Amino acid sequence: MDALHILAKLGIFAAMLVTLTAAVMVVTLRNIFHCALALILVLLGVAAAYISLKAEFFAVIQILLYVGAIMTLVIFAIMLTSRIGDKTILQNNRQGLISFALLGLFNVFFTGAVLKTSWNLNPAAMAANVDAGVLGAAFMNEYVFPFEIISVVLIVALVGAIILGRADQ
Amino acid sequence: MFGFGVLKGMSVTLWNFILSYIYPKKGITTVQYPEKKKEVEERFRNFPFLVYDGTPDNMRCVACDICAKECPPKCIYIIPEKDAQGRIQKKPATFDIDYAICMNCGICEEVCPFDAIFMDHEYELSEYDRLSDLMYPKEKLLKPVEHFMKIRPTDCGAIEAQRAAKGIKGRAAQVQSAPAATVKPAETQQNPPANA
Amino acid sequence: MEASDTIFVAFKKAILGFLQGFLPDWTVVIVSILISITAIAIFGPVTMMYLTWLERKVVGRIQNRYGPNRVGIFGLLQPIADGVKMLTKEDIVPQAADKVTHFLAPVIVVIPALLVFSVLPFGKGMAAVNLNVGLLFFLAISTMSTIAIFMGSWGSRNKFSLLGGMRAVAQMVSYEIPMVMSVVPVILVTGSLSTVSIVEAQLGGKWFVFTPWGFFAAIVFFLCGVAEVNRTPFDLPEGESEIIAGFHTEYSGMKFALFYMAEFMSAFAISGLTATLFFGGWDGPFLPSWVWFLIKAYAMIFIMIWFRGTLPRLRVDQLMGFAWKLLLPFALLNIFVAALWQLLPAPKNLIVAGAAEAVVLVVIFVAARKDSPQKRTYIFAD
Repeated sequence: MDALHILAKLGIFAAMLVTLTAAVMVVTLRNIFHCALALILVLLGVAAAYISLKAEFFAVIQILLYVGAIMTLVIFAIMLTSRIGDKTILQNNRQGLISFALLGLFNVFFTGAVLKTSWNLNPAAMAANVDAGVLGAAFMNEYVFPFEIISVVLIVALVGAIILGRADQ
Repeated sequence: MFGFGVLKGMSVTLWNFILSYIYPKKGITTVQYPEKKKEVEERFRNFPFLVYDGTPDNMRCVACDICAKECPPKCIYIIPEKDAQGRIQKKPATFDIDYAICMNCGICEEVCPFDAIFMDHEYELSEYDRLSDLMYPKEKLLKPVEHFMKIRPTDCGAIEAQRAAKGIKGRAAQVQSAPAATVKPAETQQNPPANA
Repeated sequence: MEASDTIFVAFKKAILGFLQGFLPDWTVVIVSILISITAIAIFGPVTMMYLTWLERKVVGRIQNRYGPNRVGIFGLLQPIADGVKMLTKEDIVPQAADKVTHFLAPVIVVIPALLVFSVLPFGKGMAAVNLNVGLLFFLAISTMSTIAIFMGSWGSRNKFSLLGGMRAVAQMVSYEIPMVMSVVPVILVTGSLSTVSIVEAQLGGKWFVFTPWGFFAAIVFFLCGVAEVNRTPFDLPEGESEIIAGFHTEYSGMKFALFYMAEFMSAFAISGLTATLFFGGWDGPFLPSWVWFLIKAYAMIFIMIWFRGTLPRLRVDQLMGFAWKLLLPFALLNIFVAALWQLLPAPKNLIVAGAAEAVVLVVIFVAARKDSPQKRTYIFAD
């Protein structure tokens, strides 16, 4: 099974590489619709990362919500603002190089901080097999209050959207 | 109730589907051309043909040129026959109809005063060559009056009854009566009979 | 009976057993995956080809005529002739089109259509992958085709394609919600998201369609599925006589064939999923399990084709009104009825659930009926 493990790790690294490339493409491509498509690829890569961490439910929910609904909304927004893809609108500016250099410097410190912290991992939690049923039970037992608050927020958003989108009478 | 209209419509189509299998004569209206052909109506018109009584020499057409003049796309081309002295005979030497131009309107049939040209029922007239094979000369257009009676019995019967009532006997009778006219040389040259 | 039931599984085991003799273990795992993939890759397009044949024959018979019957006996070689025609057509790309998007859209629309075949249980032990979130996987992956349709309409640089694409996306997003909501009762009752477990919960004739909530959930799910794959009466995005051809106007040849293939494979997948969730999947007496699955899936397909032969196309406001005002409340109230059915002991649950369902029906069809479809009001003309 060693070869299979190696193949699996190679696959996961390839997925991560694709995700990072797509993330770079999101901010550098000229046509904004292509940027949205690259963002879809990033979200799919994140779903692949979830699968590799044995959280299949999250991966599928990620695809269902992010790619299926939120990206559709983003693409509608792109499409309805008609001037945004114009060639006359500048997509880059002249501060590219210096911001890249400063970001590299920040990255050095940040990576050092991340590597020096001792993340206390709980082996019991890591080995637990959390599936949808356990999540649902947690929502109803321990986390019922945040669940209800989020439901109220969503209802307020829905009602607000309907009011804002209603035809003038 | 809401939704029952849809179910009723769907039951109609399901019945159509089932009927097409259990009783094809009523359920399927397709005619499998070219193995089977649908019978055409009597008044169906496609391409004209010239009528003769008896032998192809007895054609009813006198080359009056009315159909060529009335034809909307001008697909009829008539040259009347000339005898040894160059006098025009009452017979066409050339009668060409171009199938590529003919629009199957039937006006030539309607205006002919001599019951000579009628619309045929043939529609399988495809050819491989557009210019030469689609031009129908006189020989290809001539068909006997029995053919006319077979394809359009009502019209042919009415026309033949009309001709018999008026005493029109056709070209054969006229040829027989011609020698009697030349016996009297003192008379002026008579015009040929108005109805031939 | 047992042998014919698992004939494909036994075939695959035989191949793997033969290969295990001289190949290392990890290769055998890869070969096992490849065999499943090959089976799906053969089954999918062949199904699509013969679905087009079936559709033309059935719609023909409904319309009092034979379908295609010249190319091969009963027209069985017609799909091959169609395939050859589409392959040999010239591939026209509009000059101002966005080349990357125009090229990728047909490719991306086929991927979800094929991927969802992997969680359908074709027979006993014959689901290609037994994911424990299989049902949710199906629903999530089928939402990806929305993006592909939008790419197709945007990449064509054609105002009518864009309009068709927008309507398509609005329709598909609106119908996803009642679809997911109508599946929740099934998940509630079986307690699992895996399609294999859902079929196993219905074994022995206890199909969910025979319960009060299941009957209506099946209808709602099937109608939403028909709307998801853009079939008549919900085929406004690709209305053949309306918006020229909607989002796939500018596609010709193989690209059009890919869109067409994705539509038919999705139709088969939705029919298969309806059969799995509500009609017992591969459950049935006498015949092998995969034969029962195919019978049920093709019965659903026949109903889809029957819809196509009967119903006129819905207008876009009627379409949206139907989803939001009729199907969504119905699906939500159905969840309550299913919960009642699940909690009460038999046989009281049948009576209570039946009564509750009748109340729901009355509420929906009397209260919501007036609104959908709405009578058109003219804002600017009076």
